[in-house]
Amino acid sequence: MGDQNTDVIQGTLDMVILKTLSLEPMHGFGIGRRVEQVSRGVFKMNPGSLLTALQRLERAGWLDSEWRQTENSRRAKFYKLTRSGKKQLETETADWTRRASAIARLLKAEG
Amino acid sequence: MSLWRQLTYGLRRMVHRTKHDRDLADEVEQYFQDATAAFVARGLSVEDARRAARLEAGNINIAKESVISYGWENTITSFLADLRFAARQLAKHPAFTLTATLTLALGIGANTAIFTVVQSVLLAPLPYQNADRLMVLNTHWTNNSRTTPRVTGPDAADARDQAKSLEAVTLYYGGNLGVQLRNHSTYSAVTLADANFWRVFQLQPIAGRLFTEADTQGAALVSEQFASENFGSAQAALGQVLHVESDPLQITGVLPAGFNFPGKTQVWEARPLHEPALDNRTAFNYKAVVLLHTGVSLQSAQAELDALSQRLQTAYPNDNRNKQLIAQPLQQALTGDARPTLMLLWSTVGFILLIACVNVTHLQLVRSMERHREIAIRKALGSSRRQVMQPIIIESLLVSLIGGAAGVLFAFPAVRVLVAMAPKELPRADEIHLNGGVLAFTLALAVLTALVSSVLPALRAAKVDPAEALKNDITRGMSRHGAGRVRDGLVIAEVAATFVLAMGAGLLLHTMTTLMTRDMGYDTRQLLVVDADAPARTEDDGRRAVKQFNDIFARLSATPGVEHVAGIMGLPTGLYGSNGYYTVTGAGPVNTSHSPYADFSVASPGYFQSMGIPIKRGRDFNDQDTFESAFVAIISESVARQNFGSADPLGKQIQCGLDSDKWMTVIGVVGDVRQESPAQKPGPTLYMPMAQHPYFANQIHIVLRTEVKPLTLLNTVQRQIAQVNPAIATRYTTMDAMLDQSIAVQRFRAALISSFAGVGLLLAMLGVYGTMAYSVAQRTFEIGIRMAFGAERGIILRSVLQHATKLACIGIAAGLVLSLILARLVTGMLVGVSPIDPLSLAAAALLLLLTALAAAFAPGWRATRVNPMVALRAE
Repeated sequence: MGDQNTDVIQGTLDMVILKTLSLEPMHGFGIGRRVEQVSRGVFKMNPGSLLTALQRLERAGWLDSEWRQTENSRRAKFYKLTRSGKKQLETETADWTRRASAIARLLKAEG
Repeated sequence: MSLWRQLTYGLRRMVHRTKHDRDLADEVEQYFQDATAAFVARGLSVEDARRAARLEAGNINIAKESVISYGWENTITSFLADLRFAARQLAKHPAFTLTATLTLALGIGANTAIFTVVQSVLLAPLPYQNADRLMVLNTHWTNNSRTTPRVTGPDAADARDQAKSLEAVTLYYGGNLGVQLRNHSTYSAVTLADANFWRVFQLQPIAGRLFTEADTQGAALVSEQFASENFGSAQAALGQVLHVESDPLQITGVLPAGFNFPGKTQVWEARPLHEPALDNRTAFNYKAVVLLHTGVSLQSAQAELDALSQRLQTAYPNDNRNKQLIAQPLQQALTGDARPTLMLLWSTVGFILLIACVNVTHLQLVRSMERHREIAIRKALGSSRRQVMQPIIIESLLVSLIGGAAGVLFAFPAVRVLVAMAPKELPRADEIHLNGGVLAFTLALAVLTALVSSVLPALRAAKVDPAEALKNDITRGMSRHGAGRVRDGLVIAEVAATFVLAMGAGLLLHTMTTLMTRDMGYDTRQLLVVDADAPARTEDDGRRAVKQFNDIFARLSATPGVEHVAGIMGLPTGLYGSNGYYTVTGAGPVNTSHSPYADFSVASPGYFQSMGIPIKRGRDFNDQDTFESAFVAIISESVARQNFGSADPLGKQIQCGLDSDKWMTVIGVVGDVRQESPAQKPGPTLYMPMAQHPYFANQIHIVLRTEVKPLTLLNTVQRQIAQVNPAIATRYTTMDAMLDQSIAVQRFRAALISSFAGVGLLLAMLGVYGTMAYSVAQRTFEIGIRMAFGAERGIILRSVLQHATKLACIGIAAGLVLSLILARLVTGMLVGVSPIDPLSLAAAALLLLLTALAAAFAPGWRATRVNPMVALRAE
């Protein structure tokens, strides 16, 4: 079952969370499920590291949180991107794109 | 921004800890419920969905744990939790806590007290403006590497006029002199200084003005204390006239409280920049202090002085041969003599702290062995190395901090006692106080102590192998041997360190008893000593003073309770005195390359009888030895032996440079005395009659051999002297008190080192007791078996005592080696005692052996009380 599952690549967890939350405010499980769906099951999130990362991002000032009712009327903590979070996402995305294309070029050159 | 959020989030969470933790737990809970719900939505049963969620997301508790432990505040809360745990543990083990805390309080307290003295005296800058630029000028002799702490007037004046690195140079001299006020006389420290004194020290008066170069004579400044004691206030003192040595001086200003340089000076008399009478490059009459220019280093100033000294040597080849001016920081000059004593004390308390640390390490080890199982269980449950060591270190830190706080409390009175005990020679004693620097030192010391004493137990805890530890039941005395060996090692170290202290104390105490029982060459008991200063300036004044003193002697000898009275300039251990070279005629073959040297004393008839100095040959001075008659002298046995061998010295001629170069006829020989202190050898002295040397006869000691307690005569004597001349300043003491004073430094050292050795001994005793008690308790089972098989109680007791004796002997041997290495450090402080004094060695060894045996006896006795049945049933 978990053969194709991978942890999110080291150092990109923050970016992935920020990107996911840039669409709409979500709670922890929502984020995890969205990442799994969009990545077609390649990335699965461990609740321990996901929720710890959320705390870290919130303290960094990139996220805000509040307790709200979910669609099935349960209480959950919803996270929302702040302005500086948006800026951080842009920086990280640009940085990642630069690296990824560089790696892609390297791999192509080898092939 | 984000740092701010980190801080506020963390703080908020620390305040509302439970709510935040619950929120986080809820969030994790929520996540798992959502995950389960998602599986249910895919059609699984609730039971299967829950299992699937757990498979996918892992253990909910581990997730919770990792989420909750995020954040810097957790490090602090876990530290606080460990601290609380440590406090509870300490409260649960009062015997351990109390012993450890008291041990450290003693160690840290002693260190704090001594460091307070070291800091205030040696380290703190002098309380003067530009203290770091103040230097003393000394004269150094390049041929024999000696240094005279004085300068000649012309040499220092050349430095003042020529050296560009010196901003100001002042020359001064002085001492304790009688000061005559309108209605009474008092002894005060008087300094005669030139007007540059104020430029060097950059002082402002609190009333009036400083004296200047224009006030060549007749002006004086006084201290605030002198002003308020004698005139009521600083303002009232202005314009008042006082007399020093018959010179009328008008007070022009009053200096602020706290300034009393040099040496507790109360009166500063104006002296011209140039005194022709002292214009001599071989008379070292002055002390000199200089102020360096800002930015000039000692080295560059010294380089300039070297060049100047070179020029002077060329210009005055006779007077300045081998002479070099040397600048020395004023602080060093003032405190240099106290340094070895303070360093000795400091290293001694260092030893005490070391012993205290060893003791606490020891206690910690014993405790951590009791905690062996707890630690093993913690490790089995997955505690990391750090998590196992942290509680031990924190507990030790807590003990050290409590001990340190108690130590500071103990240091306050200790410092006061120290200052009260300190000999008068201790410089800057009035500046000694506990301050921030000292407290910081103590805090650092406490933390260091905690680390030192916990490192071994913590490392051992980290090494605990849970499987091994849980199998190994220590209560049965089957523990590994390593543990016992470490504790034995600590006891040995402790005994060795204590031996060094005891040895040091033994040497200093032996020195003290040697000094106190020494034959001084005179009878010290029942002697009242009056310091008397009759104002005199000229030779005629001096002759008048002699006549008045003779009148006083006559009156006093008629006083009931007084056996003999005499006057003396140059009393052993006294204020005044002179010494120098002399020449004799009719001497036997002696080494002529250097003239013989002697102390010079000026005495009245009856002095030898009053002092109990035996007259070996010839006669005493008498009333026929007057200023007009032939000059005579009495010599001590050493002078006779050095110059005349076995020939009869009576009638020989002798000449010395005291005040005249007249030849004197030797009329008597008396016994030698120890002049400066009991630490000195009996030496050569030349006695001359007061009547023939009036210039040296106005500042004298009057000695009274009494039949009653000397000080009971004080009022009578004072009245008699005042009746003859009220202007004579007087001060009273006894010979015994003066002798006491002369060995005050030795006494101070001996008393302190002995009490530190006592503390060390107490700590070592605790250490030995602890280790024996522990090993006996551990071996209860073994002892039970041995007794069940018929071992005698005596054998059990002997085995415990043997173990203690073995440790003590190894410790003593190690301490002996250490003492031999360190003995060099105290050699200079010993008088008549060798640094490897066998008596001190034996005493220290015996003391430690007895201490160890006494400490081991109680546990040993308890071992013999073991009931085999109870011991074997205990498990």
